[in-house]
Amino acid sequence: MSERQINDQLVIYRRRFSSRLLLGTARYESPSVLDDAIRAADPAMLTVSLRRQVAGSADAGQSFWNLLRETQRTILPNTAGCLTPDEAIKTACMARELFQTDLIKLEVIGDEVSLQPDPFGLVEAANQLVRLGFQVLPYCTEDWILCRRLMDVGCEVLMPWAAPIGTGQGPRNARALRELRERAPNIPLIVDAGIGLPSHACQVMEWGFDGVLLNTAVSRADDPVRMAGAFASAIKAGHSAFVAGPMVVQETAVPSTPEIGRPFATDYSTPLATAN
Amino acid sequence: MFVIVNGETRPLPEPQTLAFLLISLSPQAPFAVAHNEEFVARGNYELHHISSGDRIDIVHPTAGG
Repeated sequence: MSERQINDQLVIYRRRFSSRLLLGTARYESPSVLDDAIRAADPAMLTVSLRRQVAGSADAGQSFWNLLRETQRTILPNTAGCLTPDEAIKTACMARELFQTDLIKLEVIGDEVSLQPDPFGLVEAANQLVRLGFQVLPYCTEDWILCRRLMDVGCEVLMPWAAPIGTGQGPRNARALRELRERAPNIPLIVDAGIGLPSHACQVMEWGFDGVLLNTAVSRADDPVRMAGAFASAIKAGHSAFVAGPMVVQETAVPSTPEIGRPFATDYSTPLATAN
Repeated sequence: MFVIVNGETRPLPEPQTLAFLLISLSPQAPFAVAHNEEFVARGNYELHHISSGDRIDIVHPTAGG
Protein backbone atom coordinates (compact mmCIF):
# COMPACT_ATOMS: atom_id res chain seq x y z
CA MET A 1 0.00 0.00 0.00
CA SER A 2 1.40 3.41 -0.97
CA GLU A 3 2.00 6.25 1.49
CA ARG A 4 -0.74 8.24 -0.21
CA GLN A 5 -3.20 5.40 0.29
CA ILE A 6 -2.21 5.04 3.95
CA ASN A 7 -2.64 8.77 4.55
CA ASP A 8 -6.03 8.63 2.86
CA GLN A 9 -7.45 5.98 5.18
CA LEU A 10 -10.38 6.36 7.53
CA VAL A 11 -9.06 6.42 11.10
CA ILE A 12 -11.44 5.62 13.96
CA TYR A 13 -9.97 5.37 17.44
CA ARG A 14 -6.52 4.66 15.95
CA ARG A 15 -7.90 1.84 13.78
CA ARG A 16 -7.20 2.33 10.09
CA PHE A 17 -9.62 1.39 7.33
CA SER A 18 -9.26 1.58 3.57
CA SER A 19 -13.07 1.56 3.18
CA ARG A 20 -15.23 4.52 4.22
CA LEU A 21 -18.49 2.58 4.20
CA LEU A 22 -20.00 1.14 7.39
CA LEU A 23 -22.74 -1.40 6.74
CA GLY A 24 -25.68 -2.44 8.87
CA THR A 25 -26.65 -6.10 8.94
CA ALA A 26 -30.42 -5.82 9.50
CA ARG A 27 -33.44 -6.35 7.26
CA TYR A 28 -31.82 -8.54 4.59
CA GLU A 29 -33.95 -11.21 2.95
CA SER A 30 -31.54 -13.98 3.89
CA PRO A 31 -28.10 -14.55 5.39
CA SER A 32 -26.73 -15.30 1.91
CA VAL A 33 -27.92 -11.93 0.57
CA LEU A 34 -26.29 -10.24 3.56
CA ASP A 35 -23.08 -12.14 2.92
CA ASP A 36 -23.04 -11.16 -0.77
CA ALA A 37 -23.86 -7.53 0.08
CA ILE A 38 -20.92 -7.43 2.50
CA ARG A 39 -18.60 -8.66 -0.26
CA ALA A 40 -19.94 -6.05 -2.70
CA ALA A 41 -19.82 -3.17 -0.21
CA ASP A 42 -16.38 -4.05 1.19
CA PRO A 43 -17.24 -2.19 4.41
CA ALA A 44 -14.88 -0.96 7.11
CA MET A 45 -17.26 -2.12 9.83
CA LEU A 46 -20.44 -4.10 10.28
CA THR A 47 -23.03 -2.91 12.76
CA VAL A 48 -24.76 -5.51 14.91
CA SER A 49 -27.02 -5.65 17.94
CA LEU A 50 -28.04 -7.98 20.75
CA ARG A 51 -31.43 -9.36 21.66
CA ARG A 52 -33.09 -12.14 23.63
CA GLN A 53 -33.48 -15.41 21.74
CA VAL A 54 -36.84 -15.50 19.96
CA ALA A 55 -39.11 -18.07 21.63
CA GLY A 56 -39.23 -21.29 19.61
CA SER A 57 -36.12 -20.45 17.61
CA ALA A 58 -33.49 -23.18 17.60
CA ASP A 59 -30.72 -20.80 16.54
CA ALA A 60 -29.77 -18.23 19.16
CA GLY A 61 -27.66 -16.17 16.78
CA GLN A 62 -24.90 -18.73 16.15
CA SER A 63 -25.31 -18.81 12.37
CA PHE A 64 -25.37 -15.01 12.25
CA TRP A 65 -22.34 -14.84 14.52
CA ASN A 66 -20.47 -17.38 12.37
CA LEU A 67 -21.27 -15.38 9.24
CA LEU A 68 -19.92 -12.22 10.86
CA ARG A 69 -16.71 -13.89 11.99
CA GLU A 70 -16.05 -15.33 8.55
CA THR A 71 -16.18 -11.84 7.01
CA GLN A 72 -13.26 -10.82 9.29
CA ARG A 73 -14.69 -7.29 9.42
CA THR A 74 -14.54 -5.01 12.45
CA ILE A 75 -17.74 -5.40 14.47
CA LEU A 76 -19.58 -2.32 15.72
CA PRO A 77 -22.33 -3.21 18.23
CA ASN A 78 -25.15 -0.73 18.75
CA THR A 79 -27.48 0.24 21.58
CA ALA A 80 -30.50 0.43 19.27
CA GLY A 81 -33.82 0.95 20.97
CA CYS A 82 -32.43 2.34 24.21
CA LEU A 83 -34.46 5.26 25.53
CA THR A 84 -32.35 6.24 28.56
CA PRO A 85 -28.64 6.58 29.33
CA ASP A 86 -28.97 3.79 31.91
CA GLU A 87 -30.37 1.34 29.35
CA ALA A 88 -27.72 2.32 26.82
CA ILE A 89 -24.85 1.88 29.29
CA LYS A 90 -26.06 -1.56 30.40
CA THR A 91 -26.58 -2.62 26.79
CA ALA A 92 -23.09 -1.39 25.90
CA CYS A 93 -21.59 -3.42 28.74
CA MET A 94 -23.38 -6.56 27.53
CA ALA A 95 -22.29 -5.85 23.96
CA ARG A 96 -18.66 -5.46 25.03
CA GLU A 97 -18.65 -8.91 26.59
CA LEU A 98 -20.67 -10.51 23.79
CA PHE A 99 -18.68 -9.08 20.87
CA GLN A 100 -15.32 -8.63 22.60
CA THR A 101 -14.89 -5.01 21.52
CA ASP A 102 -14.74 -1.59 23.17
CA LEU A 103 -16.35 0.00 20.12
CA ILE A 104 -19.98 1.00 20.60
CA LYS A 105 -22.43 2.80 18.33
CA LEU A 106 -24.30 4.77 20.95
CA GLU A 107 -28.00 5.34 20.35
CA VAL A 108 -30.19 7.03 22.96
CA ILE A 109 -33.51 7.62 21.28
CA GLY A 110 -35.53 10.64 22.40
CA ASP A 111 -38.61 10.23 20.25
CA GLU A 112 -40.11 6.92 19.23
CA VAL A 113 -41.78 8.39 16.13
CA SER A 114 -38.83 10.15 14.51
CA LEU A 115 -36.20 8.02 16.31
CA GLN A 116 -34.38 11.31 16.84
CA PRO A 117 -31.48 11.07 19.29
CA ASP A 118 -32.03 12.45 22.80
CA PRO A 119 -29.18 14.99 22.97
CA PHE A 120 -29.20 15.23 26.76
CA GLY A 121 -29.24 11.49 27.35
CA LEU A 122 -26.69 10.98 24.61
CA VAL A 123 -24.09 13.25 26.22
CA GLU A 124 -24.69 11.71 29.65
CA ALA A 125 -24.33 8.16 28.34
CA ALA A 126 -21.30 9.03 26.21
CA ASN A 127 -19.58 10.63 29.18
CA GLN A 128 -20.02 7.53 31.34
CA LEU A 129 -19.11 5.08 28.59
CA VAL A 130 -15.88 6.93 27.79
CA ARG A 131 -15.00 6.72 31.49
CA LEU A 132 -15.67 2.98 31.34
CA GLY A 133 -13.13 2.65 28.54
CA PHE A 134 -15.51 2.44 25.61
CA GLN A 135 -14.72 3.88 22.19
CA VAL A 136 -17.96 5.68 21.53
CA LEU A 137 -19.45 6.45 18.12
CA PRO A 138 -22.54 8.50 18.99
CA TYR A 139 -25.53 8.62 16.64
CA CYS A 140 -26.40 12.31 16.88
CA THR A 141 -27.95 15.19 15.00
CA GLU A 142 -26.03 17.91 13.17
CA ASP A 143 -26.56 20.35 16.07
CA TRP A 144 -23.21 22.04 16.66
CA ILE A 145 -23.58 22.46 20.42
CA LEU A 146 -24.50 18.81 20.87
CA CYS A 147 -21.52 17.76 18.76
CA ARG A 148 -19.23 19.99 20.77
CA ARG A 149 -20.48 18.50 24.04
CA LEU A 150 -19.90 14.99 22.70
CA MET A 151 -16.34 15.92 21.78
CA ASP A 152 -15.88 17.52 25.21
CA VAL A 153 -16.72 14.24 26.97
CA GLY A 154 -14.24 12.30 24.86
CA CYS A 155 -15.97 11.10 21.69
CA GLU A 156 -13.35 10.89 18.95
CA VAL A 157 -15.90 10.24 16.18
CA LEU A 158 -19.34 11.74 15.55
CA MET A 159 -22.16 10.23 13.53
CA PRO A 160 -24.72 12.90 12.60
CA TRP A 161 -27.89 11.82 10.85
CA ALA A 162 -28.81 12.82 7.31
CA ALA A 163 -32.50 12.18 8.00
CA PRO A 164 -34.52 9.92 10.34
CA ILE A 165 -33.50 6.25 10.45
CA GLY A 166 -34.84 4.14 7.61
CA THR A 167 -36.42 7.01 5.65
CA GLY A 168 -33.96 7.20 2.77
CA GLN A 169 -34.70 10.91 2.39
CA GLY A 170 -31.08 11.99 2.05
CA PRO A 171 -29.56 15.03 3.77
CA ARG A 172 -32.46 17.10 5.15
CA ASN A 173 -30.34 19.94 6.45
CA ALA A 174 -27.48 20.31 4.04
CA ARG A 175 -26.39 23.72 5.30
CA ALA A 176 -26.08 22.58 8.91
CA LEU A 177 -24.20 19.44 7.93
CA ARG A 178 -21.72 21.47 5.90
CA GLU A 179 -21.33 23.97 8.72
CA LEU A 180 -20.65 21.10 11.12
CA ARG A 181 -17.90 19.88 8.80
CA GLU A 182 -16.40 23.39 8.73
CA ARG A 183 -16.62 23.86 12.50
CA ALA A 184 -15.17 20.42 13.31
CA PRO A 185 -12.50 19.91 10.63
CA ASN A 186 -10.35 17.42 12.55
CA ILE A 187 -12.75 14.86 13.98
CA PRO A 188 -13.99 11.96 11.84
CA LEU A 189 -17.60 12.60 10.86
CA ILE A 190 -19.66 9.70 9.58
CA VAL A 191 -23.12 10.37 8.22
CA ASP A 192 -25.42 7.80 9.79
CA ALA A 193 -29.10 7.24 8.96
CA GLY A 194 -31.45 8.61 6.35
CA ILE A 195 -29.29 7.96 3.30
CA GLY A 196 -31.36 6.47 0.48
CA LEU A 197 -29.36 6.76 -2.71
CA PRO A 198 -25.73 6.51 -3.76
CA SER A 199 -25.98 10.15 -4.87
CA HIS A 200 -26.80 11.13 -1.25
CA ALA A 201 -23.70 9.30 -0.05
CA CYS A 202 -21.56 10.80 -2.80
CA GLN A 203 -22.87 14.27 -1.93
CA VAL A 204 -21.91 14.14 1.76
CA MET A 205 -18.51 12.69 0.87
CA GLU A 206 -17.97 15.60 -1.55
CA TRP A 207 -18.68 17.91 1.41
CA GLY A 208 -15.76 16.33 3.22
CA PHE A 209 -17.46 13.82 5.50
CA ASP A 210 -15.23 10.89 6.38
CA GLY A 211 -17.65 8.03 5.89
CA VAL A 212 -21.23 6.86 5.56
CA LEU A 213 -23.14 4.27 7.60
CA LEU A 214 -25.86 2.48 5.63
CA ASN A 215 -28.36 -0.24 6.28
CA THR A 216 -31.88 0.06 4.87
CA ALA A 217 -30.75 1.74 1.64
CA VAL A 218 -28.90 -1.47 0.82
CA SER A 219 -30.97 -4.18 2.50
CA ARG A 220 -34.34 -2.97 1.17
CA ALA A 221 -33.19 -2.27 -2.37
CA ASP A 222 -34.64 -4.54 -5.05
CA ASP A 223 -31.15 -5.90 -5.57
CA PRO A 224 -29.22 -5.35 -2.32
CA VAL A 225 -25.97 -6.77 -3.63
CA ARG A 226 -25.90 -4.51 -6.68
CA MET A 227 -26.89 -1.53 -4.53
CA ALA A 228 -24.09 -2.31 -2.07
CA GLY A 229 -21.62 -2.06 -4.93
CA ALA A 230 -23.21 1.16 -6.17
CA PHE A 231 -22.82 2.74 -2.72
CA ALA A 232 -19.22 1.60 -2.47
CA SER A 233 -18.43 3.30 -5.80
CA ALA A 234 -20.35 6.46 -4.88
CA ILE A 235 -18.57 6.84 -1.55
CA LYS A 236 -15.17 6.40 -3.20
CA ALA A 237 -16.09 8.90 -5.93
CA GLY A 238 -17.35 11.50 -3.46
CA HIS A 239 -14.27 11.20 -1.29
CA SER A 240 -11.92 11.43 -4.29
CA ALA A 241 -13.76 14.55 -5.47
CA PHE A 242 -13.37 16.14 -2.04
CA VAL A 243 -9.65 15.35 -1.94
CA ALA A 244 -9.22 16.55 -5.52
CA GLY A 245 -10.76 19.92 -4.61
CA PRO A 246 -13.73 21.04 -6.69
CA MET A 247 -13.65 24.15 -8.87
CA VAL A 248 -15.02 27.44 -7.58
CA VAL A 249 -18.57 28.06 -8.79
CA GLN A 250 -18.80 31.13 -11.06
CA GLU A 251 -21.67 33.60 -11.39
CA THR A 252 -21.31 33.99 -15.17
CA ALA A 253 -20.31 31.82 -18.10
CA VAL A 254 -16.61 31.34 -18.70
CA PRO A 255 -15.60 29.80 -22.06
CA SER A 256 -13.53 26.70 -21.64
CA THR A 257 -12.09 26.82 -25.19
CA PRO A 258 -9.52 29.62 -25.71
CA GLU A 259 -10.89 32.68 -27.53
CA ILE A 260 -7.51 33.81 -28.84
CA GLY A 261 -6.96 32.79 -32.45
CA ARG A 262 -10.57 31.89 -33.20
CA PRO A 263 -11.19 32.29 -36.99
CA PHE A 264 -13.81 34.77 -38.23
CA ALA A 265 -13.59 36.59 -34.94
CA THR A 266 -14.80 40.15 -34.88
CA ASP A 267 -12.72 42.51 -32.83
CA TYR A 268 -15.46 44.49 -31.08
CA SER A 269 -12.86 46.49 -29.22
CA THR A 270 -11.99 48.36 -32.45
CA PRO A 271 -14.09 51.57 -32.91
CA LEU A 272 -16.43 51.26 -35.91
CA ALA A 273 -15.34 54.63 -37.33
CA THR A 274 -11.80 53.44 -37.82
CA ALA A 275 -12.59 49.86 -38.76
CA ASN A 276 -11.82 50.45 -42.43
CA MET B 1 -40.23 -20.43 43.85
CA PHE B 2 -39.82 -19.12 40.35
CA VAL B 3 -37.46 -17.10 38.17
CA ILE B 4 -38.29 -15.01 35.09
CA VAL B 5 -35.97 -15.80 32.18
CA ASN B 6 -36.32 -13.57 29.12
CA GLY B 7 -39.83 -12.71 30.25
CA GLU B 8 -40.92 -16.33 30.80
CA THR B 9 -41.64 -17.67 34.27
CA ARG B 10 -39.77 -20.86 35.13
CA PRO B 11 -39.77 -22.93 38.30
CA LEU B 12 -36.78 -22.53 40.58
CA PRO B 13 -36.51 -25.46 43.04
CA GLU B 14 -34.25 -23.63 45.46
CA PRO B 15 -32.12 -20.49 45.68
CA GLN B 16 -29.02 -20.97 43.56
CA THR B 17 -26.20 -19.10 41.89
CA LEU B 18 -26.46 -17.60 38.43
CA ALA B 19 -23.72 -20.01 37.33
CA PHE B 20 -25.81 -23.00 38.41
CA LEU B 21 -28.95 -21.62 36.77
CA LEU B 22 -27.06 -21.11 33.50
CA ILE B 23 -25.83 -24.69 33.58
CA SER B 24 -29.43 -25.89 33.79
CA LEU B 25 -30.60 -23.44 31.09
CA SER B 26 -27.54 -24.12 28.88
CA PRO B 27 -28.03 -21.13 26.55
CA GLN B 28 -26.22 -21.35 23.22
CA ALA B 29 -22.97 -19.38 23.13
CA PRO B 30 -22.18 -16.59 22.66
CA PHE B 31 -24.41 -14.85 25.19
CA ALA B 32 -24.37 -12.14 27.84
CA VAL B 33 -26.51 -11.94 30.97
CA ALA B 34 -28.31 -9.37 33.08
CA HIS B 35 -29.68 -10.13 36.55
CA ASN B 36 -32.52 -7.88 37.67
CA GLU B 37 -31.60 -5.51 34.84
CA GLU B 38 -27.96 -5.24 35.87
CA PHE B 39 -25.24 -6.61 33.60
CA VAL B 40 -23.30 -9.50 35.14
CA ALA B 41 -19.81 -10.12 33.77
CA ARG B 42 -19.05 -13.73 32.92
CA GLY B 43 -16.47 -14.00 35.69
CA ASN B 44 -19.06 -13.11 38.33
CA TYR B 45 -21.70 -15.75 37.63
CA GLU B 46 -20.66 -17.76 40.70
CA LEU B 47 -21.12 -14.73 42.96
CA HIS B 48 -24.68 -13.91 41.96
CA HIS B 49 -27.38 -15.64 43.98
CA ILE B 50 -30.79 -15.99 42.38
CA SER B 51 -33.88 -15.54 44.51
CA SER B 52 -37.53 -16.19 43.78
CA GLY B 53 -38.98 -13.63 41.39
CA ASP B 54 -35.62 -12.48 40.04
CA ARG B 55 -35.40 -11.50 36.39
CA ILE B 56 -32.72 -12.95 34.13
CA ASP B 57 -32.06 -11.65 30.64
CA ILE B 58 -29.89 -13.66 28.28
CA VAL B 59 -28.98 -11.95 25.00
CA HIS B 60 -27.34 -13.16 21.82
CA PRO B 61 -25.90 -11.52 18.68
CA THR B 62 -28.48 -10.29 16.21
CA ALA B 63 -28.60 -8.12 13.12
CA GLY B 64 -28.51 -4.37 13.66
CA GLY B 65 -28.15 -1.10 11.84
